[in-house]
Amino acid sequence: MTANPLARRTRRSPLARREARWGYLFLSPWILGFLAFTLLPMIATLAFTFTNITLSQDEPLQFVGADNYRRLLGDPQMWRSLGVTMRFAILWLPTTIVAPFALALLLNARSLHGSRVFRILFFLPYVVPFVAGVFLWQSMLSNAGWVNAALGFIGISDTPDWLFDRDWIYPALVIIGIWGIGAGVVINMAGLQGIPGELYDAAQIDGAGWWGQLRHVTIPFMTPIIFYSLVLGVVEVMQYFLVPLVLKSGTGEPGGATLFYNLYLYKNFFTFQNMSYGATLAWFLFVITLAVTLVLFRTSRHWVYYAGER
Amino acid sequence: MSIVETRRRLAIVIPMLALIVSACGSQGTSSPAASSGASGGTGETVEIRWYCCLGTGEDAEAQLPTENRIVEEFNATHPNIHLTFEVVTYDEARDTLATQLAAGNPPDIVGPVGIGGAEAFHGEWLDLNPLIEQSGFDLSKYEQAAVELYAAGGEGQVGIPFAVYPSVLFYRKSLFDEAGLNEPPHAYGDPYVWPDGTEAEWNYDTIKELGLRLTVDENGKDATEAGFDPSAVVQYGYEPQRDDLRGMGAYFGPGSIDSGDGQTAEIPAAWADSWKYFYDGMWKDGFILTGPDYDSDQWAGQVDYAFFTGRVAMSTNFLWSTYGVAEGGDDWDVAAVPANGSTTTSPLNADTFRIMKDSKHPSEAFEVLSYFLQDASPDLLNIYAGMPAVPSEQDDFFTTYQEQFPNQVDWQVVKDSLQYADIPNWEGYMPAYNETLDRILAYGDKWATTEGLNMDDEIAALQAEIQGIWDQ
Repeated sequence: MTANPLARRTRRSPLARREARWGYLFLSPWILGFLAFTLLPMIATLAFTFTNITLSQDEPLQFVGADNYRRLLGDPQMWRSLGVTMRFAILWLPTTIVAPFALALLLNARSLHGSRVFRILFFLPYVVPFVAGVFLWQSMLSNAGWVNAALGFIGISDTPDWLFDRDWIYPALVIIGIWGIGAGVVINMAGLQGIPGELYDAAQIDGAGWWGQLRHVTIPFMTPIIFYSLVLGVVEVMQYFLVPLVLKSGTGEPGGATLFYNLYLYKNFFTFQNMSYGATLAWFLFVITLAVTLVLFRTSRHWVYYAGER
Repeated sequence: MSIVETRRRLAIVIPMLALIVSACGSQGTSSPAASSGASGGTGETVEIRWYCCLGTGEDAEAQLPTENRIVEEFNATHPNIHLTFEVVTYDEARDTLATQLAAGNPPDIVGPVGIGGAEAFHGEWLDLNPLIEQSGFDLSKYEQAAVELYAAGGEGQVGIPFAVYPSVLFYRKSLFDEAGLNEPPHAYGDPYVWPDGTEAEWNYDTIKELGLRLTVDENGKDATEAGFDPSAVVQYGYEPQRDDLRGMGAYFGPGSIDSGDGQTAEIPAAWADSWKYFYDGMWKDGFILTGPDYDSDQWAGQVDYAFFTGRVAMSTNFLWSTYGVAEGGDDWDVAAVPANGSTTTSPLNADTFRIMKDSKHPSEAFEVLSYFLQDASPDLLNIYAGMPAVPSEQDDFFTTYQEQFPNQVDWQVVKDSLQYADIPNWEGYMPAYNETLDRILAYGDKWATTEGLNMDDEIAALQAEIQGIWDQ
């Protein structure tokens, strides 16, 4: 007699059932926490978007349909803030992928003496509280700061007004961000060290030089790490908030160039106290981030190489 | 369940219910007259929270020591009240107070708070009339107009005048001497006299002419001379009060963005003229600092206002800015604010202390308020650089205030400026106050940092965006 395969999949042994029970038991704190502090608030904010909830609630609470979404689409400041975020993303995303990868390559090089010291030095800024780091960079990037002093030393007299010029503020933010790429460097180094050495030997035998090895061995094997960094980078850049808040007190100066989407969202929640519209902005951000992430996952099958896959 | 057990349970439950009911009762808003005598009969000490700093008041060296001393002195002489002092820096003060209000945990007394800071919490202030009547607080010593300033808006008498800061024209004598120019007029209505003896009306056209002559590049050429290098300016002719576009506009004439119906946004014509004048002054004529230059370390980046560097010849600003003018040298004085056509306006800042509508102890809070406005008033006015709202106290205030400056300042100009105060006040009520103000500040920053804008289009866009906010 042939056993029903479906029944075989669903029927568990007493041991398996006991293990599952214990598994759920150990998972339950996280599940409860997820339900209470993530899923339910998310559902609540989605419900907010169809109401007129404010923190002070001067008017009676009521269902307003899609009013908040209509407002969102017609809000010029929302589009400007989204544009600010996109402009910064164009500059930041390549940097957040390339810089840690390049640094990891350097730190992983056999010819580098004292690589452990360099690894510590590059990781060190990551453990400094980021707000403190922002204040530090605020001073370094001021007109009379060290950065301009260094530029002056090498003969550049017309130094940038990093923090008050609409064109220079984005490079300044990228420089501040680079300071915190220590974690990215560690992840890239772990990826590099996971590439089998035999592949480089084989490539060398085939006549591949440094560039050939990088192009045909290193980069293909690093694509999962690059993909991971890219997805995280997209999520981070859409939520970019802390640096402009600390650097410019959330004013958006200069000329609105630092009024990032997430900062505008924050202002609607806590400065204007408009919880409904703030929640609508948050959900719109979620949808955009989700869409970009899905596109990345969709395209990943064409350029991300997993060594274990067939 | 036995009768004994039932009684025992009731004995526990009933007092608990009573406690809950009484606790809930105390949450409600009580009328001031009926409120609180909790301290009186029982000898119980009431805690009153003083929330600072929606305006000035946070300076660790110049203000906090005096404020803390006043709190200590108050507590030593008022055993029925324990006054606590909460300092939240200006940048965070609005958000923090809003959060406290939303959480049902408002402070009792807030201040010093200006008109704008208070309007951001429109509807949250206690009408003081019953307490004024109950305590016999004397309002007759104030100018009637000053009292009415705090009675506008349909919320009752939400404040009592305390400190006023008229606008004046600050200027540096040495820079005028160096350029061979006469100093600006001190008396309102007087003309400006050019070195050749010709007279010109004291208005913003004259300011522009003077400003160009007083804007100097690193080669010593002024902005009217051939070969002047606008990229290497070491001294500017004029600096407006640029904290808020509304205030900037009010120097050209009083007004409000609220057309009067509380729903329609309309930029006053005088404000639009002023914004165009200042924009051209920055980007076309070059006698006013552009935004990026203004914020740089060479100018306001280190000293709050560019005039404090000693390298700006004239600046219209409020009286409170005297806190920093001496940093640029002791060669400064004050002159009359110029006119825009036939209209002279000295935009006004006014600070006072207010009591929150939801204060649990309004009577005690009013006792604190009265102490601030009377016993502690000389000390507080001195640290806030605020001219007393009581006219009879102004001469004494300026006699004391002058002591910190080596140069003799013509304080009469400040007193005269009060007659040209802007009514309605530029910081007055407008719908969706915080969000509207945020958008106004964003546009002001954009104009200060962007060259080549069509200001008519910009002003129309600002009005449309404000209307969009109000329509929500």
